[in-house]
Amino acid sequence: MSMLPTALIADDEPLLRERLASYLQRLWPELEVVAQARNGREAVELFDEHEPAVVFLDVHMPGMSGVEAARCIGRRAQLVFVTAYEQYAVQAFEQGAVDYLVKPFDEARLADTVQRLRERLQAAPGAGPAANGLESVVERLSAELRRQAGTRSWLQWIRASVGNTVRLIPVEQVVYLRSDEKYTLVVWEGGEALIRKTIRELADELDPERFVQVHRSVIVNLHQVAQVTRGLNETAEVQLKGRSEQLPVSRSYLHVFRQM
Amino acid sequence: MASVPSPQASEPPRRNVLSALTGRSVLIVLALAVGAALALNPMFSTPFPVVLGRSLFVAMVLLLAFSAARQWSPVWLPRWIAPQVLAVAVATPLATLVVYLLSVGGDFMAFARMPERVSGFVLISLTGLAVGLVVALGAMLRERDAQARSQALQFALERATLERQALDARFSLLQAQIEPHFLFNTLANVQALVESGSPRAPAVLQSLIDYLRAAMPKLQGEAPTLGNEEALVRAYLDLMLMRMPDRLHYDLQVDPALRGLRFPAMALLTLVENAVRHGVDPSEQGGHIEVGAEHDPVSGQVRVWVADTGVGMPETAVPGTGLNNLRQRLQAFFGVDAQLQMSEVAPHGVRAEILFTPSEA
Repeated sequence: MSMLPTALIADDEPLLRERLASYLQRLWPELEVVAQARNGREAVELFDEHEPAVVFLDVHMPGMSGVEAARCIGRRAQLVFVTAYEQYAVQAFEQGAVDYLVKPFDEARLADTVQRLRERLQAAPGAGPAANGLESVVERLSAELRRQAGTRSWLQWIRASVGNTVRLIPVEQVVYLRSDEKYTLVVWEGGEALIRKTIRELADELDPERFVQVHRSVIVNLHQVAQVTRGLNETAEVQLKGRSEQLPVSRSYLHVFRQM
Repeated sequence: MASVPSPQASEPPRRNVLSALTGRSVLIVLALAVGAALALNPMFSTPFPVVLGRSLFVAMVLLLAFSAARQWSPVWLPRWIAPQVLAVAVATPLATLVVYLLSVGGDFMAFARMPERVSGFVLISLTGLAVGLVVALGAMLRERDAQARSQALQFALERATLERQALDARFSLLQAQIEPHFLFNTLANVQALVESGSPRAPAVLQSLIDYLRAAMPKLQGEAPTLGNEEALVRAYLDLMLMRMPDRLHYDLQVDPALRGLRFPAMALLTLVENAVRHGVDPSEQGGHIEVGAEHDPVSGQVRVWVADTGVGMPETAVPGTGLNNLRQRLQAFFGVDAQLQMSEVAPHGVRAEILFTPSEA
């Protein structure tokens, strides 16, 4: 084991990697920055290759985030998170007593961090245990990142070929969907197109708060319904806002409108 | 409220003759019939109840004829004759004749031979015609009035809704301007350039100043143009280029002839920010962003586009409020046929296109 401590810097912004490296050189001359990573995946690869004692991880990086990288590195190194004005992250670090820097950081703040890192490395030479509570911090941050990524399970865009382009139609513009033999007809505020997804698949993927199946072959956007007219024999017709066509409601789906 | 979707099961509209009969109209007609019977009574030798009965019968038939004609508009009828008035005019002598025929057991000759019955018929017919036509015209005017009022209300409601939407769009534009995360990350980069004495520092600072000036909330100011928007987008892309020089490439080509065009503030920037944030930034390899604007002399339409080769749009990615907001603002600015279209770029990436017919400056 080398006597001199080593470090890895991971940040997708090159100017910020360079700045941190040059400050570290001044404040902690014997620390050797052995590698710089541009994303979480590279950070984990370079960590496995060099096994540095200290890792500076930017929270927000393309592909694998700093939080995911921290999960992989775990307690094998002293971790310092770097983040730019992310209130949720700062709170998580403080509660979990994990070391962190807020960009743009000043020299004094980095000097404090360097001081703490030196003490910890001396107390437990080699790859010392990371601060307590790292796991809970990582859990909390990943949940927050997932929430921010804004991926919910419901379908938000429908891909449809129009001419030789693939249009992305926001679901709130969709008026209704109707199965048409092998395909499904999507009718939206700006036109109509055939897609390959079946009504059954769409019924599962679309937000049921907004889209309801009213017939074996029809799904309608409730926000586009003007009124529902009851017909003979336990059926009904859906009238759409600003459109002349009517959609059938079959007996087994009539309950959808009963409680409204 | 018109904008609240509330699908409701309802009975099919009953298009039947009785639909126009309200309690009010029946009462008014009954009162007029009684009045007419009282007025005519001195001229008749028949007892008052008989006169009253005849008058009531004729009045009710006229009311029915008036209501039935409401949904009747034959093509052969000249436009200046209201079907309801015609119905009343025709129904009056017919109804009176029926009353008199009933009194003589249906024998027309018996009726025609009695001069006092014939003069009674003429008297009731003329009275019915006079009162009936006046009431029918009055009722039609009232109806037309009510219709005009409800239409005016409908227009007012639509206008209020549009105004509210425009205000909402403006309000959220004022609120969500500069993201702190973007600002502090950019400042950290500028700081690094300044500290290292980089010759690029002044130019980057200028881009930041241009961006901040354009992105500051403004209520009033000079009319925004596509040229202003182009400068703002260039400042933004230069800042992002400083931050991710290895991952971002861009190409910004706005036809110089279009720079003076009125264009909603921040509209192009919203699309470019989207392309960076959701297309290029999440990608390890980064991507290319192309921004362009051109005028089609044939259709007269202007096409403004932002295309990226980033990670593309997951089908479940929740569209930011920015996009919905943008669609509304474009339509408020250029009219309802202004469009915002999103499509896929092969093999991966998103293209956003704004299509509109420029408004006269």
